[in-house]
Amino acid sequence: MRRMPIVVRELKKTYQVALQRRGALGALRSLVNRKTRLVRAVDGISFEIAPGELVGYLGPNGAGKSTTLKILTGLLVPTSGEVQVGEFVPWRQRRSYVAHIGAVFGQRTSLWWDLPVIESLELLQHIYDVAPGKFRHNLDEFRKLLDLDAFVDTPVRSLSLGQRMRADLCAALLHEPPVLFLDEPTIGLDVVAKERIRQFIRHINQQRGVSVVLTTHDLSDVQKLCQRVMIIDKGRLLFDGQLSKLQERFGGRRQVVVDFGERYEAVQVEGAEVTQHEGQRATFEFEQGTISASELIGRISARYRIQDLQVREPDIEATIRRIYEQRLLG
Amino acid sequence: MRTFFELVKLSARRQFTYRAAAFAGLATNVFFGLLRAAVMVALYGERGEAAGISLQAAITYTGISQAVIAFLDLFGWWQVIQSVYSGQISGDLLKPMDYFRFWMAQDLGRALVNLAGRGVLIMLFYAAVFDIVLPGQPGQWLGLLAALLLAWMVSFAWRFLVNLTAFWVPNAVGIGRLGYSLSWLMSGFLMPLRFYPEWFQKLCNLTPFPHMINTIVEVYLGLLSGPEMMAALLHQALWAAALTSACYLVLRAGVRRLVILGG
Amino acid sequence: MGRIFGLYRRLVAIRIRAQMQDRSSFLLETLSTVLVSGVTFVTLALVIQRFEGIGGWSLGEIAFLYGLVEVSFGLMDMIFSGFDPRDFGNRVRLGTFDQMLLRPVDITLQVFSSEFIVRRLGRIAQGAVVLAVGLHLVEIEWTAAKVLYLPLVMLGQIAFFGSLFIIGSTITFWTVESIEVINIFTYGGAEMMSYPMHIYPDWLRRFFTYLLPAIFLNYYPALYFLNKPDPFGAPGWAAFLSPLVGAGMLALSLAIWRVGIWHYQSTGT
Repeated sequence: MRRMPIVVRELKKTYQVALQRRGALGALRSLVNRKTRLVRAVDGISFEIAPGELVGYLGPNGAGKSTTLKILTGLLVPTSGEVQVGEFVPWRQRRSYVAHIGAVFGQRTSLWWDLPVIESLELLQHIYDVAPGKFRHNLDEFRKLLDLDAFVDTPVRSLSLGQRMRADLCAALLHEPPVLFLDEPTIGLDVVAKERIRQFIRHINQQRGVSVVLTTHDLSDVQKLCQRVMIIDKGRLLFDGQLSKLQERFGGRRQVVVDFGERYEAVQVEGAEVTQHEGQRATFEFEQGTISASELIGRISARYRIQDLQVREPDIEATIRRIYEQRLLG
Repeated sequence: MRTFFELVKLSARRQFTYRAAAFAGLATNVFFGLLRAAVMVALYGERGEAAGISLQAAITYTGISQAVIAFLDLFGWWQVIQSVYSGQISGDLLKPMDYFRFWMAQDLGRALVNLAGRGVLIMLFYAAVFDIVLPGQPGQWLGLLAALLLAWMVSFAWRFLVNLTAFWVPNAVGIGRLGYSLSWLMSGFLMPLRFYPEWFQKLCNLTPFPHMINTIVEVYLGLLSGPEMMAALLHQALWAAALTSACYLVLRAGVRRLVILGG
Repeated sequence: MGRIFGLYRRLVAIRIRAQMQDRSSFLLETLSTVLVSGVTFVTLALVIQRFEGIGGWSLGEIAFLYGLVEVSFGLMDMIFSGFDPRDFGNRVRLGTFDQMLLRPVDITLQVFSSEFIVRRLGRIAQGAVVLAVGLHLVEIEWTAAKVLYLPLVMLGQIAFFGSLFIIGSTITFWTVESIEVINIFTYGGAEMMSYPMHIYPDWLRRFFTYLLPAIFLNYYPALYFLNKPDPFGAPGWAAFLSPLVGAGMLALSLAIWRVGIWHYQSTGT
């Protein structure tokens, strides 16, 4: 398989957004004299993705995830900056480029609405000019992995969201692209369906070495799939690195929640901060690496009578929320 | 009754969100009006009058027929069909309001805005460009108002009836197209019915369709004497009543079917 | 080239098959189209007869012109279904157009073959009947040139109407909402071209001569076939511009279409 590293340098995309005027007269005036506002959807992003990587692209709604993905798939021309995927500049050689990538935009299907799944797939064989042997082989494998047999003869419009996503994933990979772009692949799915999609993504990444870039705002997607995560907000890249590093740097605070055997007026222990104290329950927060949980529990029990306790790991969701809210990396 | 008027108001207000479409529609109506006026002039040639209609009245007719299109919405109203197919209807049937009146109120709001907006604008444009005919006596204006209201009722009941086929068939849009094409042909939208041979006029008059447009035209242009106008309005009212009754009968059967089949 | 044609055939075949899935509704819709457009002409004919022609043209002459335009417009409406401006705006909004951009096949070919509405056959059949009636009534003095030129005129008209569809769809890249105004040029243009152009006010005719050269597609060729004098005194070759004007408009519309795609890709509605 072709190796197609992705290189993005100082990518920017700004939109002119027309401001609506109110009233019938306003509508007329807008036709003549449009007032616009400049929106920086992507504001100077750089990164590289090596072949075979599985990268999660994370951010709140409107952060610029989809815009980046549209540029990477050749749908959109950036305002400035460079993108190189393998030997292609996506928007410049769009037609030859898209033959070498797979893309699934979660809320839209690439299949024909009123055709049975199998006919859509066969049509794609001709559109991508896939050799019959290769097509058969891939189709057979994906049918098994994605369990498509139950609904290959069903028209796409009658599929459930999960089934449709499975069919779309199959469709995106029949021509064996070395790179796969997924925009919100698990959006709107139930837990079981999500897990099935994730397993498949992991499989094609590990077994076939396909690079995968997926946008999501579901953190469990990232936790379960991605070694590397990029976080974007307001068009800027806030973090790019291993998921564990993210935890270490920003989510470092673990918690010990203690239920005391009696009421204490004020509690205090060296090495931890009391963030909550109500009735007989107190929450201690401490930095990872400065003290171990057992050490802290030892110190607490030396001073107070403990009835029950639990240790809480840092919550990645809270971490990321903190990053967005406090713009820790801004 | 209060809910009814609230719905009328709501639907009327909603029309203002479709401003761009309304401007486009207005331009289209004016263009087709001008086209038809030119055809009319060419048809008349040296004649000053045909079938009791002067050239001036015939040109005015091309304006009237365009002015009432949006008001009557004659050629493509599928809302009940869509509601039946999407299942939305089950919710609407639970509302403490009669289903026919529920839609009638909304259609009235839409119709009034389009009459006051598009309809009047088109006639003003015609008045500016052509030497058009205007109704003379106050009685004729009153008759025109009644004819417009009754025409809307006939048109709404007909459209509703056509839409109700959705309870029985999976592709009611096909039937709807056929139904709407009948009103296209026999309402007097293409030409004043008086231009047609006697037998065709008689055929049309057996149907409700002339009461959608032709009656408005005849009253407006003053082609009817006082008693004739009263008779025409009565005839129109009878059709409105008949079609409304038909709507209720068919609706009841349809709802029963919906309940049995469980939507 | 062979691959492109093969793909086109395959994509169109799929569209046709999808419409045939519900055969009864397909038949019903086609039939109602035939009926409506047929009766429309019959009623018009009744009126024309009463008035003994329009602007000096007999019923047969009008039928010839009207039928010709109907057949061409119907054929165009079927072949260029994918570019129908009324649906194209929706496709852009729903992302279907993006999906096409993600496929390694020429985008124009994909849009072109993305729909093929067979029930337009109703209008075509009706137009053919009217044309036949017209030909029967006027008894054209056929020459070899006329026989050869008639299909070329139709091709010119198809290309002309098709170019209007393409331009209409391109406009929706800017407006997003599919705009009704384009109906003036497509449906309005077709209706207008069904009548002899000399009946229109000067400004309208000039518009459809110099800005949108419709007059070379219907009126001048019709004068030639019917051996009628030209009231505007245009040179004789004006009758033979139909295929040229059609091809030119099509090329122009495709150029505008390219600009539209470029605009779309740099703004991403």
